Amino acid sequence: MIEQFSQIGRDLFLQNAVSSHGGNISIRVGDRIYITRRGSMIHNLKEEDIIETGLYNNDSGIVLASTELKVHREIYRQTTAMAIIHAHPVNAIAVSLESDEIIPLDSEGSYLLHKIPVAAAEHTVGSKEVMDQVPKLLKKYKVVMLRGHGSFAIGQMLEEAYQWTSALEVSAELINIAKSASINIQEYRQNIEKYSNW
Amino acid sequence: MNGWMGKILKIDLTKKEVIEDVLPEKTYHNFIGGRGLGTKILFDNLDPKVDPLSSENMVVIAVGPLTKTKVPTSGRMSLSTKSPLTNTIFDSNAGGFWGPMLKAAGYDAVVIEGASAEPVYISINENKVKIKDARCLWGKGIRETDDILSNEEGKKAQNLMIGKAGENLVKLASISVNANRSLGRGGVGAVLGSKNLKAISVQGSKSPKIADQEQMDFINYEYNKWIKASPLTSEAMPAFGTSMLVNLINEAGALPTRNFQDSQFSNAEEISGEKMADTILEKNTACYNCPIRCGRKTKTNKSEGHGPEYETIGLLGSNLGVDNIEAIAEMNYLCNDLGLDTISTGGVISCLIEMAEKDFYDYDIKFGEADKVVNLIKNIAERKGIGNELAEGAKLFAESYGHPEMAMEVKGLVLPAYDPRAMKGRGLGYITSNRGACHLRANMLGPELLGLPKMVDRFSSIGKSGLLINQQNFVAIIDSLVVCQFSTFAAGEEFFARIYSAITGDEKTPQDLLDLGEKIWNMEKIFNIKAGFSRKDDRLPARFLEETASGPASGQVFEQEIMLEEYYKSRGWDENGVPTERKLADIGLKGVDLI
Repeated sequence: MIEQFSQIGRDLFLQNAVSSHGGNISIRVGDRIYITRRGSMIHNLKEEDIIETGLYNNDSGIVLASTELKVHREIYRQTTAMAIIHAHPVNAIAVSLESDEIIPLDSEGSYLLHKIPVAAAEHTVGSKEVMDQVPKLLKKYKVVMLRGHGSFAIGQMLEEAYQWTSALEVSAELINIAKSASINIQEYRQNIEKYSNW
Repeated sequence: MNGWMGKILKIDLTKKEVIEDVLPEKTYHNFIGGRGLGTKILFDNLDPKVDPLSSENMVVIAVGPLTKTKVPTSGRMSLSTKSPLTNTIFDSNAGGFWGPMLKAAGYDAVVIEGASAEPVYISINENKVKIKDARCLWGKGIRETDDILSNEEGKKAQNLMIGKAGENLVKLASISVNANRSLGRGGVGAVLGSKNLKAISVQGSKSPKIADQEQMDFINYEYNKWIKASPLTSEAMPAFGTSMLVNLINEAGALPTRNFQDSQFSNAEEISGEKMADTILEKNTACYNCPIRCGRKTKTNKSEGHGPEYETIGLLGSNLGVDNIEAIAEMNYLCNDLGLDTISTGGVISCLIEMAEKDFYDYDIKFGEADKVVNLIKNIAERKGIGNELAEGAKLFAESYGHPEMAMEVKGLVLPAYDPRAMKGRGLGYITSNRGACHLRANMLGPELLGLPKMVDRFSSIGKSGLLINQQNFVAIIDSLVVCQFSTFAAGEEFFARIYSAITGDEKTPQDLLDLGEKIWNMEKIFNIKAGFSRKDDRLPARFLEETASGPASGQVFEQEIMLEEYYKSRGWDENGVPTERKLADIGLKGVDLI
């Protein structure tokens, strides 16, 4: 398990999807959760940085678990996710500041995600507002953005959640490049007007 | 109503009575169609302890809201009943054209009760439903029956029928759809045989209404992109059909060989999809509205027909030590015409051969003797000589001679063509499946060998339960919609939630669908508990727990108790595999009787 967590954590950092101590990762095994330690360095995870605790019941594991544990638990309770990645992808955060949804321009993002909804909350870290909004959106979408904060992606395994996070960040970077270069976009996809209804 | 036709047929063969009925709209929204609808009707109306071959058993044949729409691979139908082979609740589904035609006749389901005193078939032509004399069809093979019915009912009619095996109440009997697709497993053909029902012929011209045609077209357009982009659905399946798996599974050390004594077959190349394509393949065939076209029309020096599929190659080929693709194809044609499930038939014969080779049973046969297998197949369908004993299935046969360990089965259903020691998640799927050892209850082939959605360690025993449960719940929905499981190589629950919502107007998220899948799974489980099943039945044969696999899976055994414990906990069941009160309340089954 540590190899998996550590590899994904390093890749998130290398993609500029988290800062040195930002973001968190978890997986579910039955009614137990394995989640990164609060304040751990996600690009350099060690065995002791993976904390085990309950999905439904508290135990001493919560003392060390990530501050986003409550949100992770709620996502697992409301969806069939087996893995969750919460990251801070900079380009996606930038795009989330100005819109309620992110529609990728690139082919891969369109193909994989079609649309990424953006939720907004005043208290963005481990709050009830986030617990109320994000799991609900993840019932319908693979990855969602929390405005100004970061992404939550789910999958049946960590690699899958990482793929959605990575695809989101690449799509957002392309949106930002296109915008800053004032590119006159020639649409190549059919039905783009319908992506908003995805 | 959008998506569904809003009517079902109830046919009582004892009373020769046909009634059109309607179901509450919420039943459709909560159980969708196909397997879900079948489970709901049996759960509410059938005594789980009923003798499966008595007139009290019921049969539900149902289609779903996607049937006869433009959605690719939506040409399937599902049949639910209590199985005479496993004594569990059982559903089987098949492609072809029968399902869309039932909907074209204006019905979402046919519920059959009672038993006729003499052979009959049911003719459904739009709203005209008749129970007709089938004495002239009794004793006929599948091809001849199909030809006669086509003459009687017209070329447009689609036929579902049993062969001699079903008539003779062979517990391995299948039901043929269009003479080239099968409701294969569980002895469902014997259930129709016990009702003296030879066939159901159906035709019509109606189509379902679509709630949001524009949205459906958009989602279908995106779906077709995925099908074209996936090398599995756009390249491998059309080129080799399901037999594309032979070499792949053999290289993984998971190909059943000589009654699962080995998990690699030295001559796998000779029975592979590539070999088929180079030798006996004539052309691809497709079910209704399917772009994948995985069906195989084949021809040998002696005969011609459809298939064999991968599972057939595994169970009538490597698992019998037969390395000749023509011989396997001919055994397959024979089984198809007699109405026999090729997996179960291969499984009981491999059990016999191992017992004979080990002197547990006095019979002159060895692995690799295809000619003798052909005679056994005929005798099973006729219940002649030793065939009468084999017709009861591998479990009863091996038990009756004091060697239950020789039957490679779970709950009476023999294992399909994947060795569980080489794919531990697949093995967990076998033991927890509500219909016995089955590869179609959850697609663990995806994550364990094909990298779909991502690759997992196939030898790992820990952490598989959550993934398996998601797959089981998802497949329950796929079987309820009813679409082909191969479509899930290209699309996940997200697509199916969107297309379902567009067609029916009943807005559902992917999570809503998976929740319904979980409910269907638990209802099946409760039916089985009431029928007398318990934790002791969730087990693999000792071979897989005690004897290590060979080849690439060398040294592996199946770690049953660890995996089962994690699975029950993840399902929200107690240590005996019984849903807890909390779980029942969560899925809307609070207070349901478990006895």
